[in-house]
Amino acid sequence: MVPLEPFLVSVGLMFVIGLYSLMVKRDMVRILIGVEILFNSANLCFIALSTQVPGFVDPYAHSIVMMAIVLDGTVIAVGLAMVMNVYKHYKTIDIRKLRRLKW
Amino acid sequence: MVDIISQGINLPLPLLMLLLGGLTSLMVGLLSERIGVAKLREIWMIIVSTATLTSIYYLNQSVQKAGVLVISIWGQLPPLGGCFEIDTLSIFMSGSIAVLGFLVALYSISYMEKESRLTEFYTLMTFMMAGMTGVVMAGDMFTLFVFWELMGLSSYVLVAFLKSKWGPIEAGFKYLVMSATAGAFLILSMAIIYGMTGTLNFAAIADNLRGAAVSPWIIALFSTLVVGFGVKSAIVPLHTWLPDAHPEAPSPISALLSGIVIETGLYALARVLFLTFDPGMFKLPIAFLAVLTMTLANVMALLQTDIKRLLAYSSIAQVGYMLIGLAAGTTYGFMALFLHIFNHSMMKGMAFLASGSIVHETGTRDISSLRGIGKMMPVTSLSLFIALLGLGGVPGTNGFISKYHLFSAAFGSGLGWLGIMGVLNSALSMAYYIRIMQVLLGSPKEGFKANEAPILMLTVTMAMAAIIVILGIWPAPLINFATSASQSLVEGLSTYIGAVLG
Repeated sequence: MVPLEPFLVSVGLMFVIGLYSLMVKRDMVRILIGVEILFNSANLCFIALSTQVPGFVDPYAHSIVMMAIVLDGTVIAVGLAMVMNVYKHYKTIDIRKLRRLKW
Repeated sequence: MVDIISQGINLPLPLLMLLLGGLTSLMVGLLSERIGVAKLREIWMIIVSTATLTSIYYLNQSVQKAGVLVISIWGQLPPLGGCFEIDTLSIFMSGSIAVLGFLVALYSISYMEKESRLTEFYTLMTFMMAGMTGVVMAGDMFTLFVFWELMGLSSYVLVAFLKSKWGPIEAGFKYLVMSATAGAFLILSMAIIYGMTGTLNFAAIADNLRGAAVSPWIIALFSTLVVGFGVKSAIVPLHTWLPDAHPEAPSPISALLSGIVIETGLYALARVLFLTFDPGMFKLPIAFLAVLTMTLANVMALLQTDIKRLLAYSSIAQVGYMLIGLAAGTTYGFMALFLHIFNHSMMKGMAFLASGSIVHETGTRDISSLRGIGKMMPVTSLSLFIALLGLGGVPGTNGFISKYHLFSAAFGSGLGWLGIMGVLNSALSMAYYIRIMQVLLGSPKEGFKANEAPILMLTVTMAMAAIIVILGIWPAPLINFATSASQSLVEGLSTYIGAVLG
């Protein structure tokens, strides 16, 4: 059985890094990368927990993570398409320029 | 008592209709461009939504006979494989989705006439309805997540549909980033559930986790679930995308998003929280969130000058009222919650459709420049008037019935202060509804001209106004249906668990 603690610590670290890049970064592509880091940390948590069954590694968690990766990819693809449209309108992908909608 | 269907690849019939309809509507759209038949896509959309309504009717009959219907997707029996578990509550929710979807499809025939890319529009709308239907029928957490993302993806693209303007793109990006973050929180909550129970099946989760002692992991699970589902259902600290995304979408899509998508999020929150925890545990946090949601959204709605944005804030306030039913945690409370979900889908759907007609004819969303519109568009204004009375909870409309049940559920379960806050907020909310009514009835400025909306749009809004008034005067059938839906959630819990675990 693989020890769980190092994995959980790295899941927590990746989660904090993802939230940090969501909140602090100005580049829209970097924000999407932050979302991707969040997704990956959750997937890593799944994989780490699947090794904790005595005797074997649970295939159920792996099949779920496979599907989840596909879903993350589609979400990010739609996001990148929107970034392209933003670039067409504003000629920049700086998130601070998108301040016309508020309240 | 329980029917299990597990040979080959199975999907519930309404879901199959919607998925196949969405796939074929692409080809139908191409075909209509080639052979030049006008309105072929629209007719196909109407056929698909009628077929969905009919199949929900037949599914309801088999569910009433069996109690709980378990359908396993790949022939692998639950709890190991993914499955659909359909009870009366799923039928109630999918019925609300199909009714609103049908009305919106009729409306958008005439509203979207002048837009291009209609094939994509109708395909995405069908897939959004398919996603919602899948969410309300899912029997395990992962099936729910897959359909959740299907619903989410289609709605991101639909919000940014009018991409030649800056507003929709900006709102769409904001919506996408916040919802995708919530999706990551949902996967994390699934990982925690998996770590604690070794499965994701709802029945097995309820069997293992309900009544477990409070530990740090339980707290972490609760908070990730609330964040994950709360962003889609716009609970207040997580609501900031909604007042941007709902007004910027095309009006039929605003009606669908405000009418039923956020309520699907609320359904998922209610189902998963009730199956995972005892109501005693989530009572106080949810009650606190409800008060925060109602108060902040009502105060913000008072400040708006854009009619669709005001209605979007009013949707957040209505989510706050619905959370009261979840906080009560009793059969009666859940009955009031689901009753309000259906009534709100009619009222807010109609308010968005009617204000969409006004925007369509005048081209402006600013409330003060719409003064006197009631003289030029009397029928549309009458239906908007009825919807606003319903949203404010005036007796004689269905909004009064469901709000009455929500607040008395709060009093009945020992949360009197929550009921009082609800009543106060309901009174406060009349302030901004009356502001719109005043504008509708005022005298127009010189040179302000608008025509009445096309006949199809008028028919849809008047039909919904009729539903609102009829259900306000004669609510008994809907209340009975909602009661049996909430009984299948609360009292039918052991049947729900037994259907899978035997």
